Amino acid sequence: MKIIASFQSVFRGRIMAKLGAFWLLLIAFAALAAPLIAPFDPLEIDPVMRLSEPGLPYLMGTDHFGRDTFSRAIYGARMTVFIGLGSVLVALLAGGTIGMISAYFTRVGNVLMRGVDVLMAFPALLMALVLMTLLERSLMNTVIVIGIVYATTTARILFGMTLKLKGEVFVDAAICSGAGHGSVLFKHILPNLVSPLLVQASFIFAFAQLQAAALDFLGLGLPPEIPSWGNMLSEERIYVTRAPWLLLYPGILIILSVFSMNLVGDAMRDSIDPRFKDDIAGV
Amino acid sequence: MFAYTFKRLLALIPTLLAASVLVFLFIHLIPGDPAAILLGDSATPEDIAKLSEKMGLNEPVWKQYLLWLFNVLQGDFGTSIFFGLPVLAVIGDGAETSILLASMTMMWIILIGVPIGVISATKYGTWIDQTTSAGAMLFASVPTFWLGLYLILIFSVGLGWFPSSGFPSLSDDGGISNLRYLVLPSLTLAAPNAALIVRLVRASMLDVSREDHVRTARAKGLHPAKVAVKHVFRNALIAVAAAFGFTFAALVSEAVVTETVFSLPGIGRLVVQSILRRDYPVIQGVILIIVVLYTIINLLVDLAYARLDPRVSLK
Repeated sequence: MKIIASFQSVFRGRIMAKLGAFWLLLIAFAALAAPLIAPFDPLEIDPVMRLSEPGLPYLMGTDHFGRDTFSRAIYGARMTVFIGLGSVLVALLAGGTIGMISAYFTRVGNVLMRGVDVLMAFPALLMALVLMTLLERSLMNTVIVIGIVYATTTARILFGMTLKLKGEVFVDAAICSGAGHGSVLFKHILPNLVSPLLVQASFIFAFAQLQAAALDFLGLGLPPEIPSWGNMLSEERIYVTRAPWLLLYPGILIILSVFSMNLVGDAMRDSIDPRFKDDIAGV
Repeated sequence: MFAYTFKRLLALIPTLLAASVLVFLFIHLIPGDPAAILLGDSATPEDIAKLSEKMGLNEPVWKQYLLWLFNVLQGDFGTSIFFGLPVLAVIGDGAETSILLASMTMMWIILIGVPIGVISATKYGTWIDQTTSAGAMLFASVPTFWLGLYLILIFSVGLGWFPSSGFPSLSDDGGISNLRYLVLPSLTLAAPNAALIVRLVRASMLDVSREDHVRTARAKGLHPAKVAVKHVFRNALIAVAAAFGFTFAALVSEAVVTETVFSLPGIGRLVVQSILRRDYPVIQGVILIIVVLYTIINLLVDLAYARLDPRVSLK
């Protein structure tokens, strides 16, 4: 009930954000039920039908191997969800832990946050590129690399927010009544950070899609045989003058997903604790 | 101010040193003998032994680092495996393209992003504001390379207005008119960043317009346009200036993609190609230079911020 109530307060009067949330649900559904919805095997090659125009039976046409674009797009939704959730998980776990601990234990924090400063001297995509050179192209590595890139910003944001909470009376009260460090951090500070963390997560989810697509495009992201929207664009771009739909559909899918996530994140940001509003850097 | 600047400059040193250690370790994190990696596949055992000696690979790692840092500080970033030229010269070749591209992009961001942000804020809450805000968010959601490919498709292939790839130097035939090669790439690069600036200008103008001095200006009967320009916009610019460090980082990242889409001979494309060619000395050199530049720009932004906003204390 509480979840439904807060859901209503976030989306009240925001048609765009509602539409965004609906689109994201659709993507999640497509990802879960891909084998049931996709009319064809996303990897099946049919040279006779290569570069067919959108129509029946190929709703979004076929690519230069004669693979069905619509089915590939549906399976691509899986990668979108996996990369989004995976990067968020890595970024929040790594960055969140570093940020909270640094703010709470000041001495350790001084050292840890200097380390974060150093990592932040590397622009995001550049850092991802360098890390990808050291690793093999795989789904897991892409997720880890993008997660690490956003862990630095997350650490800095959580550092600021934890510091603010640490100065609050209820934290002093908890310490005075004999609560241990773990209990103060997890029972008193963390619950107050859940909603700003969710907002931060939504922006990471959105940016991770763009980074992953850029890595795919540069040939340093997912292995080429995986049908992700970024890979579809990257592989088919030389056929664009003959088959413009090959560029159109995956591109629109990426844009709609990132846009939707940003809309939802924006709506959520407006409804969180005003103390934290300025800490979160979204779009 | 001077003391503060000096203090900040000193504080940069540990950060830069730590970053240089990371860049140095990069070569050592790649599996294999660093000397063999640096020389590429065609190296003979004698070459490898010679370079090992020169790099001091038989010495402890900290000594190797000091030796490397000493060379870097003298401008010796090593030799490119692919080109066989000094790394600094290879990077220098891409500098003209990248600097011109960045300047042109900044021009678009300021010419397009700032006015739209101002309009959006002054029309706060109206359909104009809602449309521009949503439009800005939409543009920030577009993958750079996708936009670039479509601009090529429409304006190069379709209309034939602009060339689709490459960039001859301004000193080549054509001179200043060669800048037309950079029109589409700079627009591609500007779009997502201008979108962020629109949102930033809007947000900071709305913040400032709620302040007391603005209410006073309105209350004493100043023309709304004058209030918007003199009292709100000027103060809002401080926050915008503070975001330029962030914009630089975004430009660098997205230039990598944009230069690849448009086959521009810049530093961004050099990074990607060097990664694909496993030309590690070049990767190392470019990353180090960008990190130093980025750190300096952030410092300059902070200093400008402290100077523009008297409320920022210089402690």
